[in-house]
Formats: sequence, C-alpha cells, structure tokens
Amino acid sequence: MPAPEQNLPDGIALTGVGKTFRGRGRDVEALRDISLSCPAGSFTAIIGPSGCGKSTVMRLASGLEEADAGNIAIAGDMPLAAARAGLTGVAFQDAALLPWRSVRRNVELPLQVLGRRPADHADDVEALIRLVGLAGYENALPGELSGGMRQRVAIARALVTRPRVLFMDEPFGALDQILRRLMNVELQRIWAETGATTLLVTHGIDEAVFLADRVVVMHANPGRIVDVIEVPFARPRDPAIFSHPAFHALCDRIAEVLHGGA
Amino acid sequence: MAARDPRHLFHRSGLRTALALLILWEVIGQLDLVAGGALPAPSAILMRLWIDGADYPRHVLATLYASAAGFVIGNLAGVLAGVIFALSPAMLRLFRGVNIAVFALPPIAIAPILALTLSGMAPRITLAALGVYFVTMSATVIGLSQADSRATDLIRAYGGNRRQQLRLVSFRGALPSILAGLRIAAPNAVLGAILAEFGGGGRWGLGAYLLGSLGRGEPERLWGIGLIATAIAGLSYAGFALLAGRLIGASRAVTMNAALPDAPTEKEHPLLAVALRAGMIALPFALWWMFIWGTGVPALIAKTPLGVVDYLFFSPASASARSRLLEAMGQTLPVTALGMVAGLGFAFLLAISSRLFPRAIRAFMPVALVTQTMPLVALTPLLVLVLGRGMSLTLWVTISVTFFPAFVTLAQGIALVPRSAQDVPRAYGASAWTEMRLVTIPASLPYLFAATRLTVPRALLGVMIAEWLATGKGLGNLLNQSRGFMDYGMIWTVAAVSVLLSVVFYQLVVVAERRVLRRLGMQTAE
Ligand SMILES: Nc1ncnc2c1ncn2[C@@H]1O[C@H](COP(=O)(O)OP(=O)(O)O)[C@@H](O)[C@H]1O
Ligand SMILES: [Mg+2]
Repeated sequence: MPAPEQNLPDGIALTGVGKTFRGRGRDVEALRDISLSCPAGSFTAIIGPSGCGKSTVMRLASGLEEADAGNIAIAGDMPLAAARAGLTGVAFQDAALLPWRSVRRNVELPLQVLGRRPADHADDVEALIRLVGLAGYENALPGELSGGMRQRVAIARALVTRPRVLFMDEPFGALDQILRRLMNVELQRIWAETGATTLLVTHGIDEAVFLADRVVVMHANPGRIVDVIEVPFARPRDPAIFSHPAFHALCDRIAEVLHGGA
Repeated sequence: MAARDPRHLFHRSGLRTALALLILWEVIGQLDLVAGGALPAPSAILMRLWIDGADYPRHVLATLYASAAGFVIGNLAGVLAGVIFALSPAMLRLFRGVNIAVFALPPIAIAPILALTLSGMAPRITLAALGVYFVTMSATVIGLSQADSRATDLIRAYGGNRRQQLRLVSFRGALPSILAGLRIAAPNAVLGAILAEFGGGGRWGLGAYLLGSLGRGEPERLWGIGLIATAIAGLSYAGFALLAGRLIGASRAVTMNAALPDAPTEKEHPLLAVALRAGMIALPFALWWMFIWGTGVPALIAKTPLGVVDYLFFSPASASARSRLLEAMGQTLPVTALGMVAGLGFAFLLAISSRLFPRAIRAFMPVALVTQTMPLVALTPLLVLVLGRGMSLTLWVTISVTFFPAFVTLAQGIALVPRSAQDVPRAYGASAWTEMRLVTIPASLPYLFAATRLTVPRALLGVMIAEWLATGKGLGNLLNQSRGFMDYGMIWTVAAVSVLLSVVFYQLVVVAERRVLRRLGMQTAE
C-alpha cells in the first residue's frame, strides 16, 4: 500500500477541519479538528455512531457544505472546483432519485449537470445499469423499484462520470444482507478497475474491513476521529474472508475502539 | 396540504414583515400617495370605524347569521355526502358532475337566481352553504379513504365489513382531515354570504353595506368594512384552528384542496360504467329542475334547462340574446385567461425562486397564508377605489385572487422536494439555475396543475365581480343589467353559462394534468 501523502493528484486531504451548525438557541459542533488524508486510488471507510458527523464529512468533501475551519483539498483543488471538473462521484444514504425520471435518465443526471451530452455516453450508461444488476429496468420509474434497486441506481449514477474520487454515504443502507455482500464484492471490483479514490461511510464493521485499506473510527460530541486502523489483507479479497479468524479479530478490535470511551 | 403552523411563523420573520407593511401603509396613507387618498392610513380607517360604530352591529349580525346558518347546513350536507361517497364509489362517480359544479361555480353568477327563487335570508344561506359543502365533503372523503390501511386491514381480517371499518377506525382517522376542512370552510361561508349580498340586494349585511358605500367617496369607511369582513373570516378560521388544536393537537395551517377525490376504479359492468357517466352529466341538470319544481316559482321567472335553451334559440328575442351573450363572453374570457396566466405566472416565479431567496420567501409566506382566510374577492370594491373602473381593475382583481392561493400551493409543494434530491446536482457543481431546471421546476409541475385547478373558478369569479360592480362589461355586467331589466331568461342563461364555462375549464385542466403527469410518471398533487 502506498504511504499517505498530501495533495496527490487524485487524493483527498482534510486538514484541521471543523464545522459547527448554528441552530436556534443551541449550536451543534458537528466536527472538530478532522485531519484525514486519502492517497490517490486508496479506499477509506469511515465508521462511527449515528450523529458523529460522518455525513457532514461527506457533505463538506463534496462541496455541499462549507467548513468553518481547516482546509479541504480534493484532487488538489477546492471541493466544488473538483466537482465542476467532473472528478467526483457521490452516492448518498438516501438514493435521492428524481421520481419523474426513468432509471436511465436518473443515471444520466450528473452528465447533464456537467454539460456533457448523455447521448455520447449511452454505452457507459447502459453498462453501468447492467453492472448494478438493473438491465431491463432502464425505462422504469423509481416509484416502480424496490428500495434496494433504487440504491443501486444511485450507485450507477455515482459512477457515470468515471469519477477519480468517489464519495459514498451508507450506499447499501437499504439493502438486505445477501444483496449487500454482493454489492460489496461488486464495489471492490469497480474500485479496482477504476482506481478511484474512495471514501465510504458505513454502519457495518465487516463491510468496512472487507472493502477498505483503512478504517477511520469517529466518535460524537464533538465529531472527531479517534483512531485510524490499517487493514492489512491482500487484494483482491474473496468473500470467504468474512469467515476468516484474522478478519474477525480485526473487526473485534474496531468494535472495541468504536464502543470504547474517547 | 399542510404547512408549518402560521402562529409559529408569526413569532419571527412574519411578525416583522407584518409590522413593516403596516408602517409602510400608514406612511402611504398619511401622504395620500395612492390614487389621491384611495388608500387611507390605518389610523384614519380605525377612526372612521369608531365614528360608524353604530351602523356595524346590524350589518355584522346579518352576515354572521347567514354565514353561520350556511356553515352548519353546508357541513351537515358535506359530511353526510362525504360518508356516502366513501362508502359507495359508484355514488361518488355519479355525483362527480354535481361536485365539480359546486366547486367551480362562480357564486356571484347564481346569486341573482337564488334571489329570484328563494326569499329572505335563504339565498345568502344557500350560497354560504355551497361554499362550505365542497371543502367539507372532499375533506371527509379523503380523510375516510386515507385512514390507516393497516388498522382497517385488521378489522377486515376479523371479518368486519366496510361499515364496521368506518365506525371503528376510519372516523377517528378522518377527524384531522375533517377539522382541517372546517377551518377553510368557515371563511368560505363568510365569503359566500357576502357575495350573495352583492348579488341579491337586501339592506343589511357587510356586503350590502360595502356596495351601498361604494358610490359615496368615503375610502375610510369602505376600508373599515373590508377590515371587519376580513377579521370575521380570519377569526372563524382561527376559531376552528384552535378547536382542532384542542381536539386532536393538530396546529398546522391548511390550505384549500381543489382535487375532487377520485373513486377507486373497480371492475364493473361496462353498461354500469356508461350509466354512471351519463348520470354524472345529467344529475346537475336534474337537480336544477328539481330545485325549480321544489320552489314552485312560476316558469316566467324560473327557467329550467329547457327554458334556457328555448330562450337562447327559439324565443323571439333569441338572436339578440345570443349576440349579447357572445359579446359578453368575448369580453370576459380573454381577461380571465390573461389574469389567470399572470397570477399563476407570478406565483410560479416567486415560488421557484424560493430556492434562491429562501429568507425573503419565508418572510412572505405568512402574509400569503393569511390571505387564504381573507374574503379576497369580496374586497373588490376597495380595489375599485384604488384602480378605478377600467380594465386594469378586472386584471388586478383576477391576479390577486389567483396569485395568493397559487403561491401557497406551489411554495408548499416545492418545500416538499427533499433536500437530498437537490444535493445530487449541487454535488456536481450545478449552478442555481441548473438545479432549478433539473429539479425544482419539474418537481413543482404537479403543484402548478393543482394551483391551476384551484384558481380557474376564482379567476372567473374575480372577473365577473369586477364587471358586475365596476367595469360595465362582460358576463358580470350582463348579469347585473339583466337583473335591472328583469330579463329572467338572460339571468338564468348567464348563470348556467358561467357555471358551464368554469366546469369545462376545470375539466380541461384535469385532463391536461392527467396526460402530462402520467407521461412524466408523476402523481397528481392534492
Ligand atoms: N444542516 C444541519 N443543521 C443542523 N445540524 C446538523 C445539520 N446537519 C447535521 N447536523 C448535526 O450534526 C451532527 C452530525 O450529523 P451527521 O453528519 O448527519 O451524522 P452521521 O451521518 O454520523 O449520523 C448531528 O448532531 C446533526 O444533528
Ligand atoms: Mg449520516
């Protein structure tokens, strides 16, 4: 594994990032002094109790929210600049599909935003829809799909720009265990093929360990990083690894950090 | 549809907006900036109210009496009909024509025929009741059919029939919806009563007082009457909001629903379907007939549907009648369309820009919500004062009665677009315009249709009232003139034609809405 370095071409670098939401009467310090650097092509998983600021990290990194303190560099640039350059891909917790657009047109949405002609990418779109197992549903509307299918559309949409940096916030939250495993394997393959720097928020420790090079553990109040744990297993990882004793030992260690005090 | 509690909003930006507007109004009034004093300062209006104090009780009582009686009758009919329709989809389909007609009819158009056929307070009570019926009926049907399906499934699983489901689960479940309906229905009753006073004569009542004072060049008095009428409508809304809060803890602002609840499509005999469809169209006319028969008014005065056809096509005066009618329609319809397009257009622009200027829109929202409880068209005499009697009056009346409800419908709809749906384009660096083009505007389409449905009848009503009271043109004026000439055939004809026009336009919007939204895979907004 490459050593972490700041500002690599396709890397993610957060330095001393803080974010406080000013609410009525009470302010919420969502993040305090977050420093995290993901080298180009690496896979980083973030895990932590709900409300610890995982989504906020993703929203800051994808330019949806502005940090109060610190600096964020995506592929060496400001988040929004990287987004406008078409370098990033995002998939959120909530599939966030536009209900009046077919599966195909939902997947094409980022292309449209970036001013690219969807017709020029028809083959890509087709292939991505097939990749997430939705071949034949190209013209279906989100209302006709199950929750799991909708999330797979969101994943296809995240990949449609061939992003160099991929942000995924609990993308498999609505999937059942079996489908989730399947998608884990798929995601590993896609990641290996595309080489995109990936930041994944997840609730599942096993999912994090299976997919990531490093697992970042966060705690709440204020949201902060308490530990970064390297995952030493060789790639490509086989699903059989889920029942490996070393795998379990690592999961247990992460669980300890996760549930232990600060 | 529901929005945040307006009381809640008032505490913050809303209160500030209201205060700022009031101060602005006072300054403008003091300086006589609008049409040479047509808009007096609030302080001057209050002063005049104090001086006229002795006149008010009888007028207020007359309007209150008609509104309250109409409210009770309209609600009884509305709930009863709602329960029947919820129990029997066939009845709902059969009465569809009647329901649309009641929703879409411009009250001013039928005020004269009610005055011809009924006596005393009855015309006013009827018009108030009609204003209440649709709101309560649709709230009841929607409430009953949306009752928690798991709870009704439970009753079904134990072999309970539809009636038991209603008794055990649905009525309680429908209560919030019905109470919400009552809140909108209450100011509607006041509006109905005032419009009947406009159209039916009589000495007492705020509407009569307003009309009587129109020609006397006393802006302060007109505004004072308008203020009292608005206060009564607003208080009736607030009263039922409070009641609903006490009963079920619901304290959300509600707005008028313009969707006719749809009967679930069941497999039925094609002959029955045809019969229902025919019945749906025939029933309003049958009721018209029965109404005349029931009142026993002589045929000279009361025209049946056939009487109207006879008047328009076979009587000696038919040619002149037709040309007058066509001329009036030629004056009324273009203005109505123009005013509606302008009102809807402004509302649409303002509502979608709420994404760009969220704070400004949030401050404006309480004002728009308050207008929902105002008898806006009844305030036309005030606009006559400010704008004179020309075309611009008609246009502004129409715009003002379409803009506010359309804006509220659209803004609430757009607020329902989940934040995450906008996050996707934004995460790819979309500009505000791209985001609007890709997300906000398409998402607001169903609400644009809902707003159009809601405002079609109001636009026609606004135009007809302006014509009746001031401009001397169009269908409203023709109706008023015919009343003066005791041209009964024309009175009935204009009433029937206005209702028919309104129903046809409403129906056209519904059809366009279904087509467009189905193509886009969207659902109709309520
Ligand atoms: N837009 C917002 N306004 C106010 N508070 C927010 C906002 N977004 C997140 N928060 C608060 O920030 C904290 C972290 O939230 P989030 O990042 O969504 O956590 P997670 O994704 O780990 O569950 C929570 O306390 C949440 O209430
Ligand atoms: Mg989250």
